[in-house]
Amino acid sequence: MSAQQDGEVASPEVHAIGISFGNSNSSIAYTSSEGKAEVIANEEGDRYIPSVLSYVKGEEYHGTQAKSQLVRNNENTVAYFRDYLGKDFDSLDPRPCHASAHAKKHGSTVAFSIQDTESEAHNAVTVSEITTRHIRRLASSASDFMGKKVNAAVISVPTNFTETQREALTQASKEAGVEVLQMISEPTAAVLAYDARSEAEIKDKIIVVADFGGTRSDVAVVASRGGMYSILSTSHDYETAGAQLDQILIDHFAKEFIKKNKTDPRQNPKSLAKLKLEAEATKKSLSLGGNASLNVESIADGVDFASTVNRTRYEMLAAKVFASFTRIIEDAVRKADLDILDIDEVILSGGTSHTPRISQNLQRFFSSKTRILSPSTLPTAIDPSSLAARGAAIQASLISEFDKEDIEQSTHPMVTVTPHLRNAIGIMVVTDDIKKGLFTALVEKETAVPCKRVGIFAAPREGGDVIVKVCEGARDIKITKKEKLKTNGKAASDDSDLDSDNEEEDEEVREKIWKVGTVLAEAAIKGVKKGGKVEVTVHVGADLGVVVTAREVGAKGGVRGTLDKPRVVENGSA
Amino acid sequence: MAAVQVSLPLPVLPQGWSEEKDFKPIGQLSSATQRNIEPVGPHFLAHARRKRHKRTFSEDER
Ligand SMILES: Nc1ncnc2c1ncn2[C@@H]1O[C@H](COP(=O)(O)OP(=O)(O)OP(=O)(O)O)[C@@H](O)[C@H]1O
Ligand SMILES: [Mg+2]
Repeated sequence: MSAQQDGEVASPEVHAIGISFGNSNSSIAYTSSEGKAEVIANEEGDRYIPSVLSYVKGEEYHGTQAKSQLVRNNENTVAYFRDYLGKDFDSLDPRPCHASAHAKKHGSTVAFSIQDTESEAHNAVTVSEITTRHIRRLASSASDFMGKKVNAAVISVPTNFTETQREALTQASKEAGVEVLQMISEPTAAVLAYDARSEAEIKDKIIVVADFGGTRSDVAVVASRGGMYSILSTSHDYETAGAQLDQILIDHFAKEFIKKNKTDPRQNPKSLAKLKLEAEATKKSLSLGGNASLNVESIADGVDFASTVNRTRYEMLAAKVFASFTRIIEDAVRKADLDILDIDEVILSGGTSHTPRISQNLQRFFSSKTRILSPSTLPTAIDPSSLAARGAAIQASLISEFDKEDIEQSTHPMVTVTPHLRNAIGIMVVTDDIKKGLFTALVEKETAVPCKRVGIFAAPREGGDVIVKVCEGARDIKITKKEKLKTNGKAASDDSDLDSDNEEEDEEVREKIWKVGTVLAEAAIKGVKKGGKVEVTVHVGADLGVVVTAREVGAKGGVRGTLDKPRVVENGSA
Repeated sequence: MAAVQVSLPLPVLPQGWSEEKDFKPIGQLSSATQRNIEPVGPHFLAHARRKRHKRTFSEDER
């Protein structure tokens, strides 16, 4: 921090939180003194606060209370507005706010015509102003909880939030008295939330972040390398999200009601609004139990409606929608030029990710080596609804002490745009049975440079002179058609558990293998003692020059050599 | 990051392999892809600090 100059006004202390701001829900989070991110409950006790504002005789309702106004006071209730921020009317999708205050063209921006004061007058309230009011309410809840005035935040936004949208959000927050320290992308926030846990181990891995929300689903494929994250591809879907699952239940219950009462509750807006709220509650219960009930008072013509549905039935009705969630992920993986086998982890984020069937489908879709991080597949998973807010809170705690200029410089493309390795770098080892070299990756592809990785390798049992052969490697997928098992003279009992897997003929077995590419260097380590080990360090410089060092663990000296940077540096896509 | 442990052994040095300082440079890395690193997390901030420091450093030298 720079020293205070004479005459300079002391800036107030920064109290920063993390905010996740969704079309459906928002969350606020802070980082405790132990460095743990915690989600803050508002005055009503909600950690997932509906992004809804409603006005009754000049009084403002927020969150869950506002959402319940969608039944009786929908015209003065503003919901699903996040994606309208910083957009012009002609480019937006008006469907999400079909059953609440409608978005209208307002000059170059978007507004809602609502009675937000005591008078009968309809005022055009811009989406920016609505956002300001929403952020103000969130910040006020956070301030109450923290016991000090929250005046800054890191906010998570989708990867396809435009520059104009970011500016609009920054401005709207400022109006609410909240300075946006940084906007971070939602999938990165989710990865950070996991990596910030004390038990997390920083490893090189490819992560899919699947954020299944209320009105949209977003998937990102992320290369996580030494705790740094590069997004390799993204995919967005506005037709596959929580709303479509609500609709399945709405239709199911409506049909049941029609059978008995001959009226369609979906025809009447108020009945539909009630049914929608209750169907969503039923859907959430089905994430926990095998059965859930639905109760709607006075659904149509003054008739009450009560029913139940079991999970099996729901999963059957929603099977197609569930399959679409898997497809969005498949699409993103393909866009990243990767294979399903390349994915080490799938982080499920967003409210809809509580749905057990969605994660079970993914467990089946991916190889057994892929970890699916969701409540129903991993007991230690973090609540998917909270990931973005937690990640934002962690980032807030990391940068809240920085000067504004510091943050701006660090997030500038001069710093963030970096060469990433096109191929893996590895060392050749020998396998027990065949006398053929096997590539072992030390530095994975898509690692940003400069970088350094260390590997500790076994030597032949008797020790002696060994060779360290450094190569580039490319991952390949080997497909084997398993015909009737040919045992090649091996005892069949060795493969007994394979046998049972291979009863069907023509089964394809796909596996990841390495294709050895350019040989980069060789180094000799002489006189390794019996049972000794060799430590190899590969250090890639910012200019792609390489330094290799190798030495026997515990011994003095060792070998050190350098490789020139490549002659041509091509420009890939950023 | 922690060192990778590999239990498969390194090959035996071929007979007659001899090189000055026991190191033989053979090739160079393939060209790289320019990508954006997400400006998030403690490891990125350390990277940014190094990179910004280095840049001003080399500009000073010029
Ligand atoms: N336990 C649960 N089981 C199933 N679905 C749930 C559960 N909890 C929340 N949801 C659903 O998650 C959706 C909201 O997700 P989330 O809060 O992540 O949305 P968002 O990011 O604010 O919304 P959007 O996608 O509209 O921008 C809603 O459809 C909600 O019904
Ligand atoms: Mg979301």
